[in-house]
Amino acid sequence: MSVTRNRWRPLVLGLAAAVFTGGPVLGQNPTLAERIAQCAGCHGADGNSPLPKIPSLAGQPAFFILNQLFLMREGVRKVAAMAPFVKDLKDSDLDALATHYAKLPPKASNESIDPALIKRGAEIVAQKKCVSCHKPNFAGDEQVPRIAKQRVDYMIEALQQIRDSKRESADTLMSGAVAGLADADLAALAHYAAAK
Amino acid sequence: MSSLLAYRRSLATAATIAFLTALTLPGVAQSPPGFSPLDKSNPAASKQDESLKPHPTPPTVTPVEKLPLDKIKLPPGFKAEVWSYGHPGGRTMVLGDKGTMFMGTRLIGRVYAITDKNGKREVKVLLQGLTQPNGLAFKNGSLYVFAINKVFRYDNIEDKLDNPGTPVELTAAYNLPDTIHHNWKYVAFGPDGKMYVQIGSNCNICEVNPGIHGQIRRYNADGTGMEIVARGIRNTVGFDWHPVTKELWFTDNGRDWAGNAGPEDELNRIAKGEEGAFYGFPYCHAQGIPDPDVKRPNPCAGVILPAALLGPHAAALGIKFYTGKMFPASYQNVAFIARHGSWNREKKFGYDVVVARISGGRARIEPFLTGLLDEKTNSFFGRPTYVLPLADGSLLVSDETGGAIYRITYGAKTASN
Repeated sequence: MSVTRNRWRPLVLGLAAAVFTGGPVLGQNPTLAERIAQCAGCHGADGNSPLPKIPSLAGQPAFFILNQLFLMREGVRKVAAMAPFVKDLKDSDLDALATHYAKLPPKASNESIDPALIKRGAEIVAQKKCVSCHKPNFAGDEQVPRIAKQRVDYMIEALQQIRDSKRESADTLMSGAVAGLADADLAALAHYAAAK
Repeated sequence: MSSLLAYRRSLATAATIAFLTALTLPGVAQSPPGFSPLDKSNPAASKQDESLKPHPTPPTVTPVEKLPLDKIKLPPGFKAEVWSYGHPGGRTMVLGDKGTMFMGTRLIGRVYAITDKNGKREVKVLLQGLTQPNGLAFKNGSLYVFAINKVFRYDNIEDKLDNPGTPVELTAAYNLPDTIHHNWKYVAFGPDGKMYVQIGSNCNICEVNPGIHGQIRRYNADGTGMEIVARGIRNTVGFDWHPVTKELWFTDNGRDWAGNAGPEDELNRIAKGEEGAFYGFPYCHAQGIPDPDVKRPNPCAGVILPAALLGPHAAALGIKFYTGKMFPASYQNVAFIARHGSWNREKKFGYDVVVARISGGRARIEPFLTGLLDEKTNSFFGRPTYVLPLADGSLLVSDETGGAIYRITYGAKTASN
């Protein structure tokens, strides 16, 4: 399996961020507050990520967060930067983190949004019926993520990974939906969703 | 009928408009090898509720008291009990020679081993971190595990349940396509000793590469000697061999976003001497319905039509023939079929186990396990996924949503646990 440079860049960034923001070193049985403070190093204190290619968690459906933490803990979804943080999480921790982030209000990042790409994105969204799973307001539902106000750079990378069969845990319907789309199309989708 | 025709015509018109729109969009022609350049899905043309989406599978344990045992309804004389629980996402069931129950999963990425400890089921996570390891088979002490684009063989596995060790990797030998969509596996050894493998169509509806997708293949156990035994299948996730005729019967799931009414899922048979036959995907569905999006002249010419229809969007998955002695004689050689239940349908359908009574090349479908779908509230309590008769004649039914296995018994014989 070949791993492109691009794929690892955010992981390195993520790790660096975790180190340089001086996230607390956690003891044996960290409290939920201690864990959340650790997550804040990369994902933002309010769950809205200030860092390139790091996803925002605020307002994600609780089931989605629980499911993704579970998949990373089990090694189905392989995100090296997350591995040390998820490996000891108990099911009850997954639940608590999911409940916490689901309640936070999502905020758009300060990335610039291109109106031409929004227009193009709307066409693809209609063609692929993205709203059936992500819902008309793109807030997601159950196992399906919120993409409204998500970071553009993160979504572009995620969409590319799913299209190129490089995200092992990807939903099969989603991989079918983005199959054959050009990079420019994926960028248009990301701009459209981020601006929702 | 005329309204149906009008509906089809409007579907077709909308499809044409969407197709022309697609043509004006730059960039859609790029596609990875083996992938059709255009998925012809035209969900925008469908009149269905646009908020339909697949149901999630809980990744964490459902406690035994929350399982929907009291909802299950069976014909008179039959009884259901919880056989095992605490294996989230458990789907396929395969028994080892020494009595270990192996269970495959999809998104959760685990393979479970369930053993009997003093009459109680003990659940172990045997493997984890795999990509949708739904395909399991057992032979000569070895467990074969088919994940998406990975094939492993664990020898003498039942002696190593606590530490399965490094498997023999057969991925290169089987050389399966690495596309993800409809590519989680169902596999089983046939009466000829060959490994039969599902290769789904890599889209909802599209022209597939008939040399790669939409098939059932068979291989020698080591992955050599590949032959295509059936073509034109959208996605079969279950098959079994008739105990008398030894013919292969398989379920096939109908396409989405072409209306609530179907096209219905199919029960198909590969008749003797018809290996390699064509079952219609993507041109011809169910009992001869031409596809509204992918067209060809005489769409159903040369197509083997189904032995029975299994219902609209029912998601008919596991199928096993019954030769046990516990159930009444009228159940000899019937097939039990688990219907996982619909997502792409406004009024939910399925979530049950049906019986297929087979006569010649045809089958009659009747209800068996019901009660998990509440039609009034349009909600479900569990999703029957695979079935497996045990040596004592009882029948196991896996519930992917509850992470449990139910055991169905008949008559005076009571539960073994």
